[in-house]
Amino acid sequence: MTSRVQTPLIFGLLALAAWQAIVMVANIPEYLLPAPAAIFANVDRTLAVQLAVTFTEALIGFLIAGVLAFGCAIMFVRFATLEEGLFPIAIAIKTTPIVAVAPLLVIWLGTGWWSKIVAVILICFFPVLVNAVKGLKAADAEYRELFQTLGATRSQEFRKLRIPYCLPYLFSALKISSSLAIVGAIVGEFVGATQGLGYLIMVSSAHLETATLFAAIAAAALSVIAMFYVIGWTE
Amino acid sequence: MRVTALATRLESTTLSRPEPLVLIENLRICFGSVVAIENLNFTVGRGEFVSLLGPSGCGKSTLLKAIARLVPIASGKIVLRDSNLSIGFMFQKPLLLPWRTTLDNVLLPVEIQFGGSVVDPTDRQRARRMLDMVQLGDFADAYPHQLSGGMQQRVALARTLMSDPEVLLLDEPFGALDELTREVLNEELTRIWQSNDTRLHTVIMVTHSIPEAVTMSDRVLVLTDRPARLVEDVQVRCLRPRTPEDPEAISAMKRIRTMVRGGR
Repeated sequence: MTSRVQTPLIFGLLALAAWQAIVMVANIPEYLLPAPAAIFANVDRTLAVQLAVTFTEALIGFLIAGVLAFGCAIMFVRFATLEEGLFPIAIAIKTTPIVAVAPLLVIWLGTGWWSKIVAVILICFFPVLVNAVKGLKAADAEYRELFQTLGATRSQEFRKLRIPYCLPYLFSALKISSSLAIVGAIVGEFVGATQGLGYLIMVSSAHLETATLFAAIAAAALSVIAMFYVIGWTE
Repeated sequence: MRVTALATRLESTTLSRPEPLVLIENLRICFGSVVAIENLNFTVGRGEFVSLLGPSGCGKSTLLKAIARLVPIASGKIVLRDSNLSIGFMFQKPLLLPWRTTLDNVLLPVEIQFGGSVVDPTDRQRARRMLDMVQLGDFADAYPHQLSGGMQQRVALARTLMSDPEVLLLDEPFGALDELTREVLNEELTRIWQSNDTRLHTVIMVTHSIPEAVTMSDRVLVLTDRPARLVEDVQVRCLRPRTPEDPEAISAMKRIRTMVRGGR
């Protein structure tokens, strides 16, 4: 257990030390490649606030998408006509890249929270929908016959059979979506925002504040890991 | 006491046929263009143990599912003489819910019947009694994956009995198990059917094992290959408890074997 944490930690620290040494020895200018020490110097309250903004947008969008997608999945499985009619449309929307849609969201919803949250919903919705539909249909036909012989209603069949059967599918979809959520939020911020990691990345790259840029990138990566663990812990 | 009960049962099956409980008339069942069952007629009397015997895939399971209203019929009739008759169905596979303990699996029929997920303590006690009856009293809190195939099928039997059926429809219930386990479970099933611990009185069992059919049943209905038709209705007149070595049983097995071969 300890070696599983220790070994990567030691290697990581060694890599950071090598990075620091190369920057110092080769005298690389900070706007090209900042040394780890310079990056850490940029980890401050501002960064934490921007991280919190992006993480909140991602989490809210993710939760809404999860509830919406699972609800849709139940309706799709319950009413086959809905699935036949709406699933192709859902896939058509899914194939539209979020980067292409994000500017439109800013026009419609402004530069505030909602354009980001909707971007997150759009990107998180489909993996959950597809997996949940698959999971709700995963129980063997014979299980459904068993429930029929016991006189179960459709709602009982969902509550006691299909939904419990679906949970592993649902959680693996939520894990995929959790990392996408941060992507959606940052893309939304790229297009038009006054705060958040995406905003920080745009501003610091425009000003060649590469150390801040690196700190923001690291924060984005950390937030993805955090989202992933939130799901893992819930599961 | 036991002897008289057996004698009465023997008499009821040999001298006067019991009142018919399930009537099958001119039954025809199709799957698309495939005719699974055609022109089938028979009755099952109250209190009888009847086996449906035939080659694999001949439509026996379909017939059983049709009696349980799981499969629609194309024409003909399936009549249950008592509209309030409670029917239990046992599948080839245990079909236990893997996230529930043994006890909670047995409680499933009660939960479905009464709607809520709060279970009455008396039902809980009854579920424990059912588990005792299939000799799994010590495994109430185990999960299905911790049990062997035979134990899982016993849990399925306890679950079926939990809905307190008067008629039991068995679809090769122990077919997937090894010979030894199967024999033990067959004996247990026969014992439960004969005892007065439950309301169960009539059993219809699908099987493709001739010894199993003969050692357990009052009557063996021999069916042909698809589409399934009735070849012969064989009465088994041995006293219970039976063994496959019983001379009566041996001669019945021989007769049935000839029919199955000839019927193809």
